[in-house]
Amino acid sequence: MTSLTPILQGNLQGYILVALLLFVIGLFVVLSRRTVLIQFMGVELMLNAANVALLAFARARGNDVQATVFYLFIIAVAACEAAVGLALVVGLFRLRQTTDSDRADALKL
Amino acid sequence: MFAIFALITLFGALSVAFQKNLVVAGLCMVLTFFGVAGLYLLLSNPVAAALQIIVYSGAIVVLVLFVIMLLSAHEEEPAGRTMPIQRWGSAVVALALAAGAVRVVLTSGFMQAMKPLKIQGPMNLNLVGVELFRGHLVAFEVAGLLLLATMIGAVALVKKDL
Repeated sequence: MTSLTPILQGNLQGYILVALLLFVIGLFVVLSRRTVLIQFMGVELMLNAANVALLAFARARGNDVQATVFYLFIIAVAACEAAVGLALVVGLFRLRQTTDSDRADALKL
Repeated sequence: MFAIFALITLFGALSVAFQKNLVVAGLCMVLTFFGVAGLYLLLSNPVAAALQIIVYSGAIVVLVLFVIMLLSAHEEEPAGRTMPIQRWGSAVVALALAAGAVRVVLTSGFMQAMKPLKIQGPMNLNLVGVELFRGHLVAFEVAGLLLLATMIGAVALVKKDL
């Protein structure tokens, strides 16, 4: 066990801890809420947690430029994911008049 | 400073999890993204912080709020059938994962041994641009193509008759 003071001042462990907790909260949002839009927000939170971990490790390795370039690409893909995901939500609403993921069960046996 | 931004981030994320009103949840997500941008600033990476604020708190949250208001889905719909097992199960899974994560991070010798290397100064856009166009030109073009394909795909998904 380590002392908590360096973590509270923000060393590598502190950032990784925040990233992991953010990921877990995002997972909890996706698992426990039924509205598709909130679940989508949970997915965004998880993606952000991954980015925080990436840039924290990059800082520990001497602020490597490669990590920021990767972050740029991740952001581009995240923007694509957001656009398509929200288009799917609008499509679901048009088909079923609902944004509840429990009611989108057309593929259920 | 780190503790403040970490608290802002986690508080915003938790209020997304427990907020009933979807618009307020979206605004709590803005809070989270600003907290994450502050963390990036503390990591001496202002480029990433600016991108985070522009793309996430700017574009993506606006898109989400726009769709919430378009579908007028401010309130969560009443459940068709109540499934308390789902809520409790997800809480248990999340708590177990969080406890495991905290334990792993606090006891990991690898991360304690990892001393941060010295850096010249904060990340600047010049370095990123040179690296992007020297080393990742093809990937950059593919990303542009992906954005175009996504735009067409999103329009095709929501348009009634193409």
